[in-house]
Amino acid sequence: MRVGIAGVGFMGSTHAAGWVETEATIAGFLAQPPAQAAALARQYGARVYPDYEAMLADVDVVDICTPTHLHYDMVLKAAAAGKQIICEKPLGRTLTQGREMVAACRAAGVKLLVAHVVRFFPEYAQARAVVANGDIGQPAVVRLTRGTFRPKKAADNWFVEFDKSGGMMLDLMIHDFDYARWLAGEVESVFAKNISSRHPNAPVDYGLAILKHRNGAISHVEGSWAYPPPLFRTRFEIAGADGFLEFDSGRMAAISLHLHQQAAEAPDVPLPSSPLRESPYTTEIKTFYHALAHNAPTPVSAADGLAALQIALAAIQSAQTGVAVTLEPLPEVAA
Amino acid sequence: MRIGIMSFAHLHAEAYIHNLRANPGVEMIGLADEEHARARHFAGLFNARLYPSYEAMLAEQPDGVLVCSENANHRPLVELAAHAGVHILSEKPLATTLADAQAIVDVCRNAGVILMTAFPMRFSAPILEVKAQLDDGSLGQIYACNTTNQGQMPIKHRPWFVDKQLAGGGAVMDHIVHLADLLRWYLGSEVVEVYAQTNHTQSVHAGTVEVETGGLVMLTFANGVFASIDCSWSKPLNYPTWGGLTMELISERGLTVIDAFSQNLNIYNQRQNSHYWSYWGSDANQGMVNEFVEAIREQRPPIVTGEDGYKALEVALAVYASAAVGQPVTLPLS
Repeated sequence: MRVGIAGVGFMGSTHAAGWVETEATIAGFLAQPPAQAAALARQYGARVYPDYEAMLADVDVVDICTPTHLHYDMVLKAAAAGKQIICEKPLGRTLTQGREMVAACRAAGVKLLVAHVVRFFPEYAQARAVVANGDIGQPAVVRLTRGTFRPKKAADNWFVEFDKSGGMMLDLMIHDFDYARWLAGEVESVFAKNISSRHPNAPVDYGLAILKHRNGAISHVEGSWAYPPPLFRTRFEIAGADGFLEFDSGRMAAISLHLHQQAAEAPDVPLPSSPLRESPYTTEIKTFYHALAHNAPTPVSAADGLAALQIALAAIQSAQTGVAVTLEPLPEVAA
Repeated sequence: MRIGIMSFAHLHAEAYIHNLRANPGVEMIGLADEEHARARHFAGLFNARLYPSYEAMLAEQPDGVLVCSENANHRPLVELAAHAGVHILSEKPLATTLADAQAIVDVCRNAGVILMTAFPMRFSAPILEVKAQLDDGSLGQIYACNTTNQGQMPIKHRPWFVDKQLAGGGAVMDHIVHLADLLRWYLGSEVVEVYAQTNHTQSVHAGTVEVETGGLVMLTFANGVFASIDCSWSKPLNYPTWGGLTMELISERGLTVIDAFSQNLNIYNQRQNSHYWSYWGSDANQGMVNEFVEAIREQRPPIVTGEDGYKALEVALAVYASAAVGQPVTLPLS
């Protein structure tokens, strides 16, 4: 299996580190401009593609780690070329895009795996397993937090451009929208507020969303690009019919470092981390590899990616309009 | 100064009686309760004088009373005390309807007696410390708040807590008013909009009650700050403590996290197979009772007034209104 990785930022390099743990071959990298892919290509003994068409002609699988607004075109072209596809979250920038992407992949008979990596973090996967096992009963009130500082980049900081990334609610909170749905089922309505809807020029963003699930459960989702670097916190709490479980990355940290200040700056894009023998990103890539190599079911389907996109876009709409947004059931998700 | 307790329906009376006795300037004169069995039980338990009726207690002309009846029964006791010219500290929520809350505020104003609403978290040491930082500007402008006041379902303490008539509702009526009050105080701004979702069908105390056990609420303030409150009775009965109150403030300077009941010891008893938290922080109730006493002594309005109780109740009632329609509702409620 030959894999081409499009995008050489944090996600492209992180996925590459996962692919080398599989039987697949990293065939090459694509960047804009192409020369930016040289370092990763050298590290993995892979090619630098001059353009996307060259990559499609050379690989079985494309792994799309480009900025969000580029996902749509790249997925459609890959599907048309009959390639298997891994796509970073969020699936697309708009719901129309996402639906077209899912339809195109179904029509072409190719897999579309959406990289909702939180499902592969052991604390999240285990909490889901505990709930699925009935150990705390049916979820009633769910609380999810993901908070850090605003991503920074020296050049082309597409994260902070709403048209490209969809902002914090689409880029960051979508992790927990997906997890809330995985945990407590389909979402019926969303009400949300965030800073940037009210203060478009604020140097930070922060949002709160209340989800009502179709089965009566309710979820509170908190997302932050407002913390001072290098803070990155994740928390969850699930109150069920028969019990309660809680996780707090700060209180349950396996290592706490309190060192005398160095000049070292925080990374551009924070990645959550707890000491583990295998990175959750590698677990994700290995699972995706297995799904592709053996035509096995995958824990994150294209429909899951589409449903998470729908919730995040509804949250943005709610924050902008001030009213709760009801979600229309999507035929792609029901099917 | 002589202070008595009217009704032991609310479990907080069991704490306040100690707070009154711990204030050296106070003579705790005793209690009265229309439920005579309850009255005898607590008078015996706390070795307190038992008055045969509220009227008998008020006839002794105490300086103040604590009204600790069921939420829906504050008004008649407040009216009795106000007409007797006695100052009042009323348990929260001030009432279960805005009409009752307004009547309570009015009767006290007309009688010229002090009315204080029992919001003890205004006297919590961690809450006060952050309030000082807010006021001196060290946190910068506040953008948003994420707050929780969760707990076990209090049915084990008093069955009326889950009686819609007497309590006015469930987790919303029990818990929303504390944070509604703290947020109004912190932000110096009034709530202009409330959105809420509530449930009870599948919560940890499912099947035993009709009132809501879960609630997630979003408040918008006149100054633009938005704040969520989780008021759920979501803590199971074997949780190591009754619940808690947390506030996270997102401001210009970053993140401030308050866990108001975090000052605990972890206790593990092998013989009883038990694990619980033992609280060692300062007693907020004592600060509240002391403030009531000081306000009476200095003949001034207390730090927390009846109007504050009215405003907090209005938020709780707006929660029910929003949850019923699934969309935000605007305040003031008509």
